[in-house]
Amino acid sequence: MRGNSLFVPGDSGLHRLHPLTKLILSLFFLVLAATLPSLPWLLTAFVLLLPLAIWGGLLRPLLKSSLAVIIPFVISLSIIQGFFTPGETQLFKLGDFVFTLEGWLAGLKVASQLLLAISGALLMMLSTRPDQLMLALTNAGLPGSLAYIVLTAIQIFPRFQERAQVILEAQQARGLEINVNIFKRIRLLVPLLGPLVLSSIVDVEERAMALEARAFSRAGKKTSLLVLKDSGWQRTTRWCLVLLMIALIGFRVWQVFV
Amino acid sequence: MNGFRKEFTTYSIALMAVAIAINIGAGQIPRAVGLPLYLDSIGTVLVGVLVGPWAGAVTGFLANTVWTFTGLFPQAIAWAGVAAIIGALAGVFGKSGWMKEWWRAGLAGVITGVVAAILSAPIAAYVFGGVTGNAGTDAIVAAWRAAGFDALFSNVAQGTMSDPLDKAVTYLIVWAVLIALPARLKTRFDGESTPARKAPARKKR
Repeated sequence: MRGNSLFVPGDSGLHRLHPLTKLILSLFFLVLAATLPSLPWLLTAFVLLLPLAIWGGLLRPLLKSSLAVIIPFVISLSIIQGFFTPGETQLFKLGDFVFTLEGWLAGLKVASQLLLAISGALLMMLSTRPDQLMLALTNAGLPGSLAYIVLTAIQIFPRFQERAQVILEAQQARGLEINVNIFKRIRLLVPLLGPLVLSSIVDVEERAMALEARAFSRAGKKTSLLVLKDSGWQRTTRWCLVLLMIALIGFRVWQVFV
Repeated sequence: MNGFRKEFTTYSIALMAVAIAINIGAGQIPRAVGLPLYLDSIGTVLVGVLVGPWAGAVTGFLANTVWTFTGLFPQAIAWAGVAAIIGALAGVFGKSGWMKEWWRAGLAGVITGVVAAILSAPIAAYVFGGVTGNAGTDAIVAAWRAAGFDALFSNVAQGTMSDPLDKAVTYLIVWAVLIALPARLKTRFDGESTPARKAPARKKR
């Protein structure tokens, strides 16, 4: 499954944590992002997340992936919120539009909320193999078929990207002209997407038979080759984090309505 | 819940996994050809039409989960609910026979696109501060804001400019695929929702 998902192999303490612990941790950062009141708080929470990434040896991939997502947002948010949020302090003017400090800070606050939420999720995804996460969720009651769908899709999508590329090249070799006007380009989609979708559906039959040959639809408990390690302190930590999240959300709701 | 169970056979579950991979593979074609479309829900719509609304909804939801996991588009999970509704709608249109003629399939796509635009706009407006992080769509949002509209309206406006066309093309492609689908595979699904295959007209010589 390497290369298809964000997972970075490793043997750190973070990697060895139970997947549910990491999932709850990433949800905790999501709740923090949604409830912390201001930019300094959010940036502090982000700085507190970094030692966890260092513990997992994942600081570089975490920063790389989260910045790749966040930088376009910072640009768009700065422009849109800066110009269109009314405020007292004018930074500069562009024609009739005033860029305000208040608007810019509001934009940066949203960007830092996204940064915190995405980094929390990345922390889990970079350090957890998708199959282990799915096994943990299956043990917690998720239907096995849903876990199968997610894991299979993660495993096979690069082949479908390749197939799309091969079809594109094959049709071009047969004289498919791509540099035409936009209405003709829509018609190009049929010879490109038709073979991709049809050939994929033909695959489904084989997959279904392979699954049935392995007693996929049999009812009852199934054993797994993977074994997940859990521990008492992790269970306690998970419950503490859940209670903290409830408290944070309760506090925020109370603040809004009272 | 009976309808729910009936839609989840081994065959349809295998189809759902492949459909999500189709979403990702097909999503790169418009970029390669230089078309401003997403076409990232062909698989979802296909499952909805062939299997039913529940299966379509589950496929849409899981497709966005997979987008997140692959790291190709980590914020996709925020729109998982919208993707689920797109899949469910495809199921409803399929069951009510809208996929039998090309023009009704196109219309179903336009309706789905409007619904998707209206449902996605509050997510962009309130979760992402009114932007999507995509330079092209954000420029359109900025233009609407500059014209004096608020964040929510600007995002609905941006969405209704792109989504109905995108979903109409998606539905037309699915309609074409259903016609070309071998009869052997079609019999695995409810025949009610798929168009009949006509014999190709011969050219007179």
